[in-house]
Amino acid sequence: MATSATMFVKLAFLLSFLSSASALWPIPRQLSTGNITVRLASSFGIHANFAGAPSDLNDAISRTMSIIKTDQLAPLVIDRGASLIPTIQKAKQLTSLTLELSSSGGNPKTTVATSVPSISEEAVKAIGERDESYTLSVPGDGSSATIKANTTLGLLRGMTTFTQLLFTVDNMIFTSEAPVEITDSPAFPFRGFMLDTARNFFPVSDIKRTLDAMSWSKINQFHWHVTDSQSFPLQIPGFMELSQKAAYTASSVYTPSDVSDIVSYAAERGIDVLIEIDTPGHTAAISKSHPEHIACNEATPWANFANEPPAGQLRLASDATTNFTASMLAAVAKMFPSTLMSTGGDELNVNCYTQDNETQASLNASGLTLEQALSKFTVTTHAAIEKLGKTPVVWEEMVLEHNVTLANDTIAMVWISSDDVAAVAAKGFRIVHGPSDFFYLDCGGGEWVGVDIGNSWCDPFKTWQKAYSFDPFANLSEAQQSLILGGEQLLWTEQSSPSNLDPIVWPRAATSAEVFWTGATLPDGSQRNTPAGSDTALPRLHDLQFRMVARGVNAIPLQPQWCAVRPGVCDLTA
Amino acid sequence: MQNHYIVFAFLLTFLVHNSCALWPRPASVTSANDTLLLSSSFAIHSELKTTPSDLQDAITRTKGFLKTDKLGRLVVGRGTSDIPTFKSAKSLPSLTLRLSEGSTVQSIANEAVANLSERQEGYSISIPSDGTAAIITANSTLGLLRGLTTFEQLWYMAGGQTYMIGAPMEIVDEPVYHYRGFMLDTARNFYPVADIKRSLDAMSWVKLNTFYWHVVDSQSFPLEVSEFPELSIAAAYSASDVYSENDVQDIINYAAERGIDVILELDTPGHTTAIGFSHPEHIACNLASPWSDFASEPPAGQLRLASPSTVNFTVDLMQAVSSKFRSQFFSTGGDEVNTNCYTQDSETQKELNASGLTLDEALNNFLMATHDVLRSGGKNPIVKEDMVLKHNTSLPNSTIVVVWISSDDAKAVAEKGFRIIHQPSDFFYLDCGGGGWLGDDITLNSWCDPFKTWQKIYSFDPLANLTADEASLVLGGQIPLWSEQSGPENLDSIAWPRTASAAEVFWTGGTLDDPLRNLSSALPRLHDVRYRMVQRGVNAIHLQPEFCALRPGACDLDA
Repeated sequence: MATSATMFVKLAFLLSFLSSASALWPIPRQLSTGNITVRLASSFGIHANFAGAPSDLNDAISRTMSIIKTDQLAPLVIDRGASLIPTIQKAKQLTSLTLELSSSGGNPKTTVATSVPSISEEAVKAIGERDESYTLSVPGDGSSATIKANTTLGLLRGMTTFTQLLFTVDNMIFTSEAPVEITDSPAFPFRGFMLDTARNFFPVSDIKRTLDAMSWSKINQFHWHVTDSQSFPLQIPGFMELSQKAAYTASSVYTPSDVSDIVSYAAERGIDVLIEIDTPGHTAAISKSHPEHIACNEATPWANFANEPPAGQLRLASDATTNFTASMLAAVAKMFPSTLMSTGGDELNVNCYTQDNETQASLNASGLTLEQALSKFTVTTHAAIEKLGKTPVVWEEMVLEHNVTLANDTIAMVWISSDDVAAVAAKGFRIVHGPSDFFYLDCGGGEWVGVDIGNSWCDPFKTWQKAYSFDPFANLSEAQQSLILGGEQLLWTEQSSPSNLDPIVWPRAATSAEVFWTGATLPDGSQRNTPAGSDTALPRLHDLQFRMVARGVNAIPLQPQWCAVRPGVCDLTA
Repeated sequence: MQNHYIVFAFLLTFLVHNSCALWPRPASVTSANDTLLLSSSFAIHSELKTTPSDLQDAITRTKGFLKTDKLGRLVVGRGTSDIPTFKSAKSLPSLTLRLSEGSTVQSIANEAVANLSERQEGYSISIPSDGTAAIITANSTLGLLRGLTTFEQLWYMAGGQTYMIGAPMEIVDEPVYHYRGFMLDTARNFYPVADIKRSLDAMSWVKLNTFYWHVVDSQSFPLEVSEFPELSIAAAYSASDVYSENDVQDIINYAAERGIDVILELDTPGHTTAIGFSHPEHIACNLASPWSDFASEPPAGQLRLASPSTVNFTVDLMQAVSSKFRSQFFSTGGDEVNTNCYTQDSETQKELNASGLTLDEALNNFLMATHDVLRSGGKNPIVKEDMVLKHNTSLPNSTIVVVWISSDDAKAVAEKGFRIIHQPSDFFYLDCGGGGWLGDDITLNSWCDPFKTWQKIYSFDPLANLTADEASLVLGGQIPLWSEQSGPENLDSIAWPRTASAAEVFWTGGTLDDPLRNLSSALPRLHDVRYRMVQRGVNAIHLQPEFCALRPGACDLDA
């Protein structure tokens, strides 16, 4: 017994030593750290060394300064950094962080200032054209730290990393890992989070808080599943009747000015907003103002006509409905600067159309099969948004279950199962991973349909560990790997609302942020997706959780705090 | 098809509308169809000779909720269709609180901490539709409080007017079970006093009457004990993560004023590693690894139950802690004692060799000593089922047993003649289904998967497998929140409204076979409680899309 206790003490000592390694999330692609302590001077400031810094970069600097002061995170070790105090007191003081744009991206202060593209402009560029790379250097001698990037978006990512290097003990803000050298860029261009605001409504302030939290782990895509069969909270110019009739209440709506507020707020934080108007299924709410366009409208028993209540789908075989949908999608497309837009396409119920006299009459008149009509509907609606510069995004069924003509650049989201990725890749479409078996945040919460004591359809709960174990290239040939744009974790909100938004999403949704930013290899050369890799992840994820709480996001503790300050000690095998 | 649906929805709305959205459902409600408005000068009058200050405070809270709930009725249109009935409706000018003839006036707080059988939570409410005063009658101020809580749930708002539907109404109510609790673990992660108070508020809204406080565990010791200050100094997560003795009194009083008794659990002899931070001499297998050889979860460490000095220390600690609580009950825990920890501990082996006792005999002596001191301080001891089912102890039948491992174990506990508090992991554990929380573990689910839905909780039968005689041993039950993956961040959302589900199980009694206690009729009422909770500042989760909440029955599996 005595021996094993001694061994334990040794192990704990070793582990607490290890835990001084960086607590960055997502961990940079290349990272080297030292063991010199540097503390922030009281005069510490962040300065752009180029003229014409856009206002959203200046705002990002202000936010970074504010976060540095308010995080107040003591290191997650047993003594919470108390033993470091003498070292910090004696440490060299860092007086500034300089932001530099490489010559291709900006003008040095000496030259005549032309306008530097804003973070917002960079963030909403086409997927693949956004440059998020940066380098960050924090010398150990107290001379200025530097972030260099090609774009203001890269500078933003660098500042986000910088805030995670800092801890606070006894009112001193410091890092004990200087010199720090980071060269970083994302492994995948699409790192997202999806929110469903139709099953239950979320006020703009909840969405903004979520965008903040997303930016802290460098998530760059907000996938907004804004409407569904249960409600239609989006006000669309020219189609105001939709939200008037089918928002839960007059105040449970997103006005065009709310939308532009959300879009700008996101873009300033390096996030593009991908709007989804799910069609032709998941549209019963449209019937509140346009019953003429909806088949099997609120038909019962709902289980014969839809995957969940209420039943109702767009009459895709009707020209009037197709034209209505195309115009509505075009009106929505104009509200968003993103080059991406989703027309959904999941869970089409065939029986709904078989039982709908109108649809059958249309099909008989045109001589088309249902699949042909669906293809025509999709081609028409996609043409409408493509004309406005959007690349269409669809759920996997449009590729795998239906015989639909889709443009080659269409992006498919795989949600039903990670096993479906190979089949989508075989058809040559670009892919965003959103598999229910890894990334669905709502799984494991139990059945929400009344009078039923069962489990959720996608049980069990998807832990952060499960999400972290995801391999973006599983079952793909090397040639197919280039089709993978990235992925996202998703919150469907049958049982969620502002009441539990933060705790059900965070810190779990940050997991895929590292999967798709860092890729397969950790900066020390080890494989991320191994037990050892996930072991180094947990202390860093604890760190992020503590910072999120300090910044006002109710991220849940992943373990007892006792474990959080003793890395590795609460491992299964410890 | 569409027409059928509309007729069906209309029928359901009508039924629900008439039976009120009260939670827990009262024993008896007689109502008619009149709308009654709440007068803008509405007042609550106490007829008591002297009105205790906590009843006066309860009256103030009720008047506050009548103003701030502002709940639009959960139907399509949110009650706007009720507005035409306002024209002919009378206004309720006041509510009178009356104690029955012969009742003595005590504070709610005193009534709330009385022995279980002496707590009188019954009340009746009479609400005329002719514009004369409503009356709540009870035998105790605690009963009046329960009546006020029911009264608050009757009111909705539409067109700027607060109103109820169903007058005249007569309610006669009392709980079937005396013990209806919520358990919170404040040791795995810490909760500030404000979070506990908010939970006590939410508990009182559904008439829960016991806060069972699992205050310390192996991971931390956040309880200040003035006789043993070193415990929290060494083993609280931080100097501010401590319940001071003032905090404890504040919590006890806040609870009692809301009709809630606070029962403290000092889990022993297992789950005590944190004591080793200041008293390593009392802890066997202290932080031993691999932890899984010595404990159910990290860190390992148990009180050296065979050591006389540890027994004395524990007895003194129990006495010091229990003397600070008003409750007549105190739990010494006793779950998950790890035998190997003691087998490997040379100190314990030495003591056992010296005394010639077996481990279970030493455990029994330890229990007798700690329970004796509790009894002499007027406390009735509570233990976990392990102490009567897994170990050979000589606990008297006056001991109360918490059944937690499985609902199947209630029968065996009852056969031994012990009184029972139901807290079965297979029905009531709020933390189940959140995944494994240990590190380096990708695939494991929580040990008690799946998630316990409100439906599962609601389906619990407190008398399952018990004979009529054994049934009298069931005191009630409680919903626990273990906090390995919980903290202030998700306290509300993980606990509510699920915890309310059990409040009805034990207030109303019966089973799902009873015509009035089924999932279909419960859900709309539970939605109602949930919306009120959110309005009152508790982040209870949505159980369904709002679409469903406004259309009772439409989102049933077979609808």
